[in-house]
Amino acid sequence: MITEELKKADHIPAEVTEIVKDSVINTFASICGEPPQYLEIEDDNKEPLNGIIGNIAVFNPELTFSLMMAIPRETAMNISEAFIGIELPFESDDMGDLIGEIANILAGDVAANIEKIGFRGQSSLPTATRGSDLTLFMPNKPPTVKLKFSGVCGDFLLNMAMSESK
Amino acid sequence: MSKIKALVVDDSKIMRSQVKRALDQLMLADFEYEEAMDGEDALAKFNDDIDILFVDWNMPKMTGVEFARSIRDKGYDNIPIIMVTAEKSMGKVDKALNEGGANEYITKPFTADKMHKAISSYFDDEGNIITGEDDENEKKSFFSSILNS
Repeated sequence: MITEELKKADHIPAEVTEIVKDSVINTFASICGEPPQYLEIEDDNKEPLNGIIGNIAVFNPELTFSLMMAIPRETAMNISEAFIGIELPFESDDMGDLIGEIANILAGDVAANIEKIGFRGQSSLPTATRGSDLTLFMPNKPPTVKLKFSGVCGDFLLNMAMSESK
Repeated sequence: MSKIKALVVDDSKIMRSQVKRALDQLMLADFEYEEAMDGEDALAKFNDDIDILFVDWNMPKMTGVEFARSIRDKGYDNIPIIMVTAEKSMGKVDKALNEGGANEYITKPFTADKMHKAISSYFDDEGNIITGEDDENEKKSFFSSILNS
């Protein structure tokens, strides 16, 4: 699959979604000790998030995959304990640093795996947004998928959007 | 055992701490640390006292590979440069080792064991760092690094 085909697609191909799903499972297995389970989203009630969102993109000059990890507060606390051995204060700068770094690790895995189907891209720098009552909103309605996972560190969501690079 | 001065370069404070913690756990040497948050900062802090470099790739201002290349271009051919990065594709590994002149490549997240496999050959039994071109082939363990990752 090449970038041109992806640009013409009106949805994110299942092949790409599977790659990202596998990368999420691999990344969180290596951090939390056990692979999280992928869960079908049965009732997408869009309940606002009280937690932290790790943002990163895998992109080339033509196409961008934006990855948004929506991590509830309790899951973030568990991840910090699993990853660095201590429970970071949720409101600390270090928590933002940690979630950004996990987004970076995930993007590295996605970039390596998506290359196998012909998309050669690179990772952006990560950012993290912490707050309550957070809702992910896509104003231009690019193709998106929402993936839900549950594991020993807790539940979390991954939203992915595919758009032309500008 | 003499002090080994390591420069740890990563824009994440958490990851710099992780690198230092893994190195302290390994007890390969008596490390003291200098930290830098990007390639430019690392260039400013680099000096002849630095014995080994641990360098992230994806950083603002100057990437780890650009920083590594700068060090090599300054004539520091023998200082071990260990890339510690989330970038996993073979193309990226090849670029870091060949264009950047890095010696080893460790992917995040890493364990102390993975770190040990990558860097233990750079230290003798007394905790002194081994530098020099005489054992360059042994140290540039390209394939073992890939397998470890």
